[in-house]
Amino acid sequence: MLTLKTMSFAALTALSFAIAVPASAKIATGANVSDMSVVDSNGVTHNLSDFAGKNVVLEWTNDGCPYVKKHYSTNNMQETQKMATADGDTVWLSVISSAPGKQGYVSGEEANALTTSRGAAPTAVVLDSEGTMGRAFSAQTTPHMYIIDANQTLVYQGAIDDNRSASPATVAGATNYVKAALTDIKAGNPVSVSDTAPYGCSVKYGS
Amino acid sequence: MSKFIQACLSALLIICLSSPSSALESESVDTGKVVASLVSSHDVVSPGERVDIALRTVLDPKWHTYWRNPGDSGEPVQIKWTLPDGVMLDGGLYWPLPDTIPTGPIINYGFEGAPLFPQGFIVPKSAQVGDVLNVSAHVYYLVCYDVCIPEQADLTLSLQVGEMAFDNRWRDMIAIAKSETPKRGNIQGGIKKMGDNVEMTFTDIPENADLSAAYFFPYDQGVLAHSETQTLIFATNGIALKTAAEFLWSQNQGSASLPKTLSGVLRFEQDGEKTGQVIELSVGQTLDIGKREAPALERSVLDDAVTAPAKITFFAAIIGAFLGGLVLNLMPCVFPVISIKALSIAKSAHGERSAIRKNAWLYTLGVIATFLLLVVALLALKAGGSEIGWGFQLQSPKLVAGLALLMFIIGLNLLGVFEIGTNLQNTGSGLVKAGDDSALSSFMTGALAVIVATPCTAPFMAGAVGYALAQPAYVTLAVFMALAIGFALPFLLIAYIPGALSKLPKPGPWMIRFREILAFPMFAAAIWLVWVLSLQAGESGVLNILFAMLAFGFAVWLFKRSHVVSKLLGGVALILAVALPVTITPNAVTPSNLEYQAWSVEKVAELRAEGRAVFVDFTAAWCVTCKVNEKLVLEKEAVKQIFIDTDTAFLVADWTNKDDVIARELAKYGRSGVPLYLYFTPGQNSVSPVILPQVLTESVLREVLTGAQ
Repeated sequence: MLTLKTMSFAALTALSFAIAVPASAKIATGANVSDMSVVDSNGVTHNLSDFAGKNVVLEWTNDGCPYVKKHYSTNNMQETQKMATADGDTVWLSVISSAPGKQGYVSGEEANALTTSRGAAPTAVVLDSEGTMGRAFSAQTTPHMYIIDANQTLVYQGAIDDNRSASPATVAGATNYVKAALTDIKAGNPVSVSDTAPYGCSVKYGS
Repeated sequence: MSKFIQACLSALLIICLSSPSSALESESVDTGKVVASLVSSHDVVSPGERVDIALRTVLDPKWHTYWRNPGDSGEPVQIKWTLPDGVMLDGGLYWPLPDTIPTGPIINYGFEGAPLFPQGFIVPKSAQVGDVLNVSAHVYYLVCYDVCIPEQADLTLSLQVGEMAFDNRWRDMIAIAKSETPKRGNIQGGIKKMGDNVEMTFTDIPENADLSAAYFFPYDQGVLAHSETQTLIFATNGIALKTAAEFLWSQNQGSASLPKTLSGVLRFEQDGEKTGQVIELSVGQTLDIGKREAPALERSVLDDAVTAPAKITFFAAIIGAFLGGLVLNLMPCVFPVISIKALSIAKSAHGERSAIRKNAWLYTLGVIATFLLLVVALLALKAGGSEIGWGFQLQSPKLVAGLALLMFIIGLNLLGVFEIGTNLQNTGSGLVKAGDDSALSSFMTGALAVIVATPCTAPFMAGAVGYALAQPAYVTLAVFMALAIGFALPFLLIAYIPGALSKLPKPGPWMIRFREILAFPMFAAAIWLVWVLSLQAGESGVLNILFAMLAFGFAVWLFKRSHVVSKLLGGVALILAVALPVTITPNAVTPSNLEYQAWSVEKVAELRAEGRAVFVDFTAAWCVTCKVNEKLVLEKEAVKQIFIDTDTAFLVADWTNKDDVIARELAKYGRSGVPLYLYFTPGQNSVSPVILPQVLTESVLREVLTGAQ
């Protein structure tokens, strides 16, 4: 029906609109991220727009994943959380997108117990067993890190650091991208490394 | 010696436990979901020889390990070799061809089953017969199914130095694994960002390759969105794969961070087997893959627009031509002629139905005969070697002038300035006279309708006509007949659908007013044609046609006088009116704005040699789509600024007058008409340009022009 389309001006106009439609659903770094409702492990509903004026760090996690274990067993993730939230200008949301029956799926109570036992310091743990938030951000791995700045702009997405191994021994000496980005933001500078390829286990979405 | 015996014993043990053939193989380590071992192509190696040792991993069913680029998640298989003194690695690891492994919305690149990872080694010449070389590997891999487990093993294989002896089992397996490993071949590739997408183009594809399931695995992450479909587009000289771009292409990263080439593996099938070839994609380049077909996987409006010229089937061309014919009836130059005829039918609606039908058929006959004449003329010119496309009739300033005069005359006639009977000499104007439904008049109305329709044709039937002109004569004929039938159909329907006639308004004095109003679209059409003429033949041409109109007006006035001298003078004025347009000669066309330069093949080469980006606008004054693009996009200040900012040269190839060089250039890109917009990326001489959509938008232009910076 191509010929048909090229034949009328109405269709020509329609075509020119169609060209503007983006092909990928992935949220690009630099895009505005605001209106999204999430429920935390205590049953409290938050909207990302509630956090306007603060930085928001999103951490996709799954306690059974070796790469997540690497960063928790070495206290790397906990330290990063504490560094981020220390000044009170940053909110840290750990997000669990594992579907029921899949690795990493936890109830609210279990999530809170994990936080306590690991000495973790997220502002809240978001339970996303439907995978809605995970798919909206195209979260691929655990861990997969995102930083939204005070203007609700996505300023970082990717890996936690530059050593892509599951071995805990590799944490020391690796460059922590999240810490680096937060340091940039807190100093009022643009984030120097804003996109990296995430690494880790796949997010255990329900199909 | 004792180590050799030990190795032999362990090998023997494995033979007893697992396989009946002799084999040099390390101890197998069960790491949980995987059983890993090292296997060798040789039992015994000679000093200075090459030997292949492979990591063999046998995965539990459904579990997978990862390729060098693991895709959206995961981690590649890793091997750390510890080699005896003097033993050297020879080349890189032979990675097997990966598979795409989907997990929900995530796509991984990896392996299931029992992948083998061969690695070549050179045994030093200094090695002594009887030595034992212990080749050790620390292997690490992430193995996943519903969960992921990192596993590792330390493996050692002991090679005996002596008289070269093959291991019959592993030698063949390793040879197969090596042959199946994708290698560099002849396939050439380019990759270029287009909006949010990247497009990869591939040429020099082997003859017997089956590309219907082609897929490109990039070596690096951050290049392609692994989880997005790779849309396959076949072309006459290669293929294109289009998918979503990853972050390496984004603006804030700056394309400076992109290397000149991006490597990866193109997977396809050959003789029913999956195979792959390693390809270095040239960044920012689109290779000339020839004429494209519609995307094989997803046909969307977006792809149609961007990947033009899309393939048009015979059937689609026929339908398109038919509908184009229907739409033509509503065009400003045609509508007045048609409406007068419709009114004439309405008037006779109270007469005999058989007479109305006869008139409708005669009209149809007139339409078809005129179209036939046009096609025959077109085919004859084509056969004579002329490079022509649709709209060719408007490339002659004489014809344009003639049409302008005709529109003017019809306008005067509609205004009632003169009324001429149905005598043969004056069919040209008399045939649109209301109330005249003689046989000849109906036939000639059909002919006139087609003639006045021709300026409107090109933009509406570009696809169908372009297709028709590139096909054998009988196809061209069939498409034009479909056009003719579509054009004539409304009249036939009025004549045959009962009740349709009674729906037409009752004749009355309003018809005279209506007829007079219709004169003005005709004058507007005349003005447009005069403007086209001004571009073709300059001021003298305009002067010429205006005098012809004056002469005609004078002739009409003179004919109204009864004196014989007046009639005579009128005849002279009439001859003058007709003769003047014939004397018009075309001008060399000069670009209207200094920013623009005239196009030539040499000019493009020259500018590109200077390292400049080049944009070519193939246009014509009579091409409505071109004019719309110019007014709405190309002439906008913001758009001009993009050209200035990106230092892009703007070349205009003006096809208003017939030009064989331009026609040949258009044919190179599968076009028989304008518009065509090309963009040559700066600093790359070997590649063909990006073909922009026929309907331009500012955002498309911005993306294409700034994407190359």
